[in-house]
Amino acid sequence: MRISRQQEKIVCQMGRRERDLFLELLPLYPRTPAAHRKLSKSSILPDAEAAQKLLDDALAEQRDQNRQLLEQLMLDLARFQVQPTGLKLVLSEADTEWLLQVLNDIRVGSWVLLGSPEDPHTVEQLTEETVPNLWAMEMSGYFQMHLLKALTGD
Amino acid sequence: MAETVTPDLLPAVAPTQEQQDKPESDLEPGFLVICWNDPVNFMDYVTHVFQVVFGWPKKKAEFHMLQVHEQGKSVLARESMEKAEHYVHQLQKYHLHATMERDD
Repeated sequence: MRISRQQEKIVCQMGRRERDLFLELLPLYPRTPAAHRKLSKSSILPDAEAAQKLLDDALAEQRDQNRQLLEQLMLDLARFQVQPTGLKLVLSEADTEWLLQVLNDIRVGSWVLLGSPEDPHTVEQLTEETVPNLWAMEMSGYFQMHLLKALTGD
Repeated sequence: MAETVTPDLLPAVAPTQEQQDKPESDLEPGFLVICWNDPVNFMDYVTHVFQVVFGWPKKKAEFHMLQVHEQGKSVLARESMEKAEHYVHQLQKYHLHATMERDD
């Protein structure tokens, strides 16, 4: 993937294979199970139940918003240009920021579906069920790192 | 067009009804925002999220990221319950493993 900055925009040029992988990856969002995270480990917060519900609702709202933004992006020919030779993404910094969240949701969700292994690279049994999760985790990480590099300039 | 003048001293802000109704302990900075280590989030990503959520410079964000990585957790902030909740929500939107705990 080639990434460049053009004025305020981040331009990602993918080749054909990257495009195909990316287009297969994005529909997996959202992948992290709802109510996956707890607000507190100790559960001794005042109104702990209500506070947890507030978090779950906020995350659900964020998921819906990101899903809508993703759908809009994929239909926007100015920002999402599917070409015979690949895919050209023209993103603002804000677009890149939520796309990072989307990709990390796919990465973390795939890891959870793998059973949250301590070392994700040594999944004990590669089966028809686990391989797609490992693939999604690795591929989302690949695109994530490229976008992050574009955003931070490192 | 006239420019907005920024006063040197900010007026004291009266607590809202909601704040008045809350127990005092919830308004005191007695809640820790903690980020826990996990094997799935990239180090660079965690650093980036800390910078975005807290507005920290890269060096400070990296310090806390390394603390998470090497010591298993890092206390990122000590805040009122409301603010701690806000930070945990933000961090979890990025899928970091963050919680808030009472500082005893």
